[in-house]
Amino acid sequence: MSYDTLVVGAGLAGLTAALRLSERGQRVLIVARGVGATHLAPATVDVLGYLGDTRVVSPAASLPALSNGHPYGHMTVDQLTTALAWFCAHTASLGYAGSPGENLLLPTALGVPKPSAFAPRTMAGGDLRAGGRFVFVGFKGFKDFHPTLIAANLARAPLPIPIEARALEVEPPSSRRGDLSGRVIAGRFDNEHLADWLVSALEDRVEPDERIGVPAALGLRSDAPWEELEQRLQRKVFEVATMPPSVPGIRLFQALSGALRSGGARIVFGVTAVGARTNAGRIEAVEVANATGTHEYPVTSVVLASGGFASGGLELDSFGTTRETVFALPLIGLPEADRVRFAPRYFDEQPLATAGVATDDSLRPVDSSGRPVYENLHAAGAILGGATPWKEKSGTGISVATGYAAAEAILAPAAQLVSEAVR
Amino acid sequence: MATQSPSLSSLEADVLVIGGGSTGVGVARDAALRGFSTILVERSDLADGTTGRFHGLLHSGGRYAVKDPSAARECIAENRILRLTAADCVEDTGGLFVSTPWDDPEYGDQFLEGCKATGVPAEEIPVAEALRREPRVNPDIRRAFLVPDAALDPWKLVWGCARSAEEHGARILPYHRVLDLEVDGDRVVGAHVRNERGGEELRIHATVVINAAGAWAGQIADLAHCTVNVRAGMGLMIAMNHRLVHMCVNRCKRPADGDILLPLRTACVIGTTDVFVPDPDKTEIRQEDIDLLLDEGEKLVPGFRQARALHAWAGVRPLFEDTAKVAETRDVTRSHALLDHSSREGVAGFLTITGGKTTTFRLMAEAAVDAACQQLGGPRPCRTADVPLAGSESHSLYQISHRLAEREPVPQAEEIICECELITRSRLEDTIKQRDTTSLDDIRRLLRLAMGPCQGGFCIYRAAGILHEGGHVDQAGANQTLLDFLEERWKGVHPVLHGDQLRQARLDDWIFQGILDVEHVPA
Repeated sequence: MSYDTLVVGAGLAGLTAALRLSERGQRVLIVARGVGATHLAPATVDVLGYLGDTRVVSPAASLPALSNGHPYGHMTVDQLTTALAWFCAHTASLGYAGSPGENLLLPTALGVPKPSAFAPRTMAGGDLRAGGRFVFVGFKGFKDFHPTLIAANLARAPLPIPIEARALEVEPPSSRRGDLSGRVIAGRFDNEHLADWLVSALEDRVEPDERIGVPAALGLRSDAPWEELEQRLQRKVFEVATMPPSVPGIRLFQALSGALRSGGARIVFGVTAVGARTNAGRIEAVEVANATGTHEYPVTSVVLASGGFASGGLELDSFGTTRETVFALPLIGLPEADRVRFAPRYFDEQPLATAGVATDDSLRPVDSSGRPVYENLHAAGAILGGATPWKEKSGTGISVATGYAAAEAILAPAAQLVSEAVR
Repeated sequence: MATQSPSLSSLEADVLVIGGGSTGVGVARDAALRGFSTILVERSDLADGTTGRFHGLLHSGGRYAVKDPSAARECIAENRILRLTAADCVEDTGGLFVSTPWDDPEYGDQFLEGCKATGVPAEEIPVAEALRREPRVNPDIRRAFLVPDAALDPWKLVWGCARSAEEHGARILPYHRVLDLEVDGDRVVGAHVRNERGGEELRIHATVVINAAGAWAGQIADLAHCTVNVRAGMGLMIAMNHRLVHMCVNRCKRPADGDILLPLRTACVIGTTDVFVPDPDKTEIRQEDIDLLLDEGEKLVPGFRQARALHAWAGVRPLFEDTAKVAETRDVTRSHALLDHSSREGVAGFLTITGGKTTTFRLMAEAAVDAACQQLGGPRPCRTADVPLAGSESHSLYQISHRLAEREPVPQAEEIICECELITRSRLEDTIKQRDTTSLDDIRRLLRLAMGPCQGGFCIYRAAGILHEGGHVDQAGANQTLLDFLEERWKGVHPVLHGDQLRQARLDDWIFQGILDVEHVPA
């Protein structure tokens, strides 16, 4: 079986690129060591939340302020908007709400208003911008959600209109397990219909004008429990993202991977892309290792969406050398050899924070002279250098935008050739 | 010298101990067990200085057998006592001295002779047997020797001594800084201290003041115009993610840098370096020292540089030198020094106990309190060699598996707040109440919270939430202790951040910055 495009990595960037290519008729293979950061991240699409210390109101309007080497620098606002609209349309079951023109402000599990461009419908009701009254509901025995701290912090948070917030605790029906994760609770919503319990626990304790924030654990298979709660409680109910594994993130992964599989794409987990057979500046085949050895997959195009240090796309050894782990690509954003790798204070600018690959506008990794390393290799997501995703709250936005853009670049080789000729 | 200020509240005691490391709490416990009314003050948390930052080796004496025989004799004697009286703080890992290809195998003969002369039990075993016991150790070792080294939990030891002292009437006051010593004529009669948490100041009058401030003893002695020459010998250590070894593995050579690798609970620690620092409060972790330890680790355990390094930290040894200048801090004796300032400088009521090492803390305390007895109406017998600490009455040594054993009958009974160290919610809540602290760093020292592979990635948010829920802190306090902890943790994490541990750190960034957005938490 041969593939048109092989995608390395099954995180948000890889899934986005693969789905875009697949729906346009390409035969697509994703190879991945495991699931990606969908299972960690809150499932919001964070396009740009901060520029320095300033909270961004409109990501679209703020993109020009980003530095030149930033991944968004390879696309126009229109292209970004197209990619995000495509993403929302292809995750319709999750009901993403928002716009690149104005950030939502969603409460974190610490009670911080966090800017996100889009959120699934289970979370969007937590938008704090319009003020109002909120009640945060903890589940007794669930260690990853602390409503008193959330409410106390939000009451003091800088918001356009101050909010009122309070905390409640309810006790779930007893179970054999005393140590619960969000994932386990979400499974109980699916299998034991915990919505009944939550409705009866809350209906007399919540005011008619209060919005209800609960841990992001309202069902793993789908968000149907959330829908039922909103209908029966007759109030806005919203999930608040908490510690990994991320339940909304797992739903997002299921939506994208499900669409991919039903469209005929193939996802192989438990394997590692380890290199390439190349010829005349092109990748002819990707070498993929599994437990039995290394296999070659002949390809026309490749998308590298292997992630940054967190996912193993980049590695720093004990001697201070950073490398891109699949194709040994040249990297930018590395501190000089005699400089420290990390700043002494945690929240300071970290020298390695922007490390990654640099690309041309077709998202092809380039060498120091700006030439593509391979004609048919594109990169997307956290492997791209030049961004500080945690600080600027841009990680998922970059993944969606560059995953889509990498696919577009592969789908439009003719246009690419024209631009090559012009150069 | 401070002038008398009647508005300050004051306390009285027979013995005032300055310093809350192992020596200080050892002195306080010893004095309390002998029936003296005792107060201990510590400027920070107990065991926050040298004791909480050492590698955790309960010496057999083997390390000193050749070059410092008196230290070796003290070590083996105290090692035997602590296995009985502080059994719950001691894991009987055993010790292995190995001659790597970089070490002269003939040193092993000197080593055996030295052990014999100092009474340290040592036995040469075949290399194959050593490798069977420690499969990760360099297969090219040429000789191997067993000694009764063990792993010591310094926090448990210090808190055990402090609680025992309290049970016998002592008052233990952490976060109380000595501002000045009170001198009346040619006597030290007490100290003027400040509560670093509440801000109030108080006066403590005592018949004898015992300076057990370790590497800081010179600073305390200055307050009474006495001289104590303590040099601070900084030692760097790195904690690794796994128990790469099960025994305390030493290089069989003259003590040098990076030649000990020992298991400590679920991790292991390589140490150490030895660099003179002018100010014990100013220690700097340099990349070259990290590299030195990693390279030495590679000699002991091939592949060491690919293993996960969790955390690096520096402690300062108090190295006492009375007269002659010593070029290398390693050449200063590791035996302790007891100074009676009445015979030295004519200042009565003031003793300094410094030098030494954690293994011999009890002996140091005994010597200090023996000397204090002379100023308190005559000798009273020391009981610390016989009376066990709470939890050690049955003399059963600590087992690495104990937290698992406690949980195993009901594995799903309760929330686990720190998965790395198996800390349950009730254990955390009890500790917060018992210690009456709101500092996550204090809690870390008591429970080892956040000391495992994720370095607090998961448990610190939970613990901050629990502090707030329980009404122990307001919202600002919860935020602050969380931010303080992240900064404090980063100090030890970033110097050794590479490989898989960097992946772990990025997961923690995801949690704190990506999910919780901790840096924008309101004040």
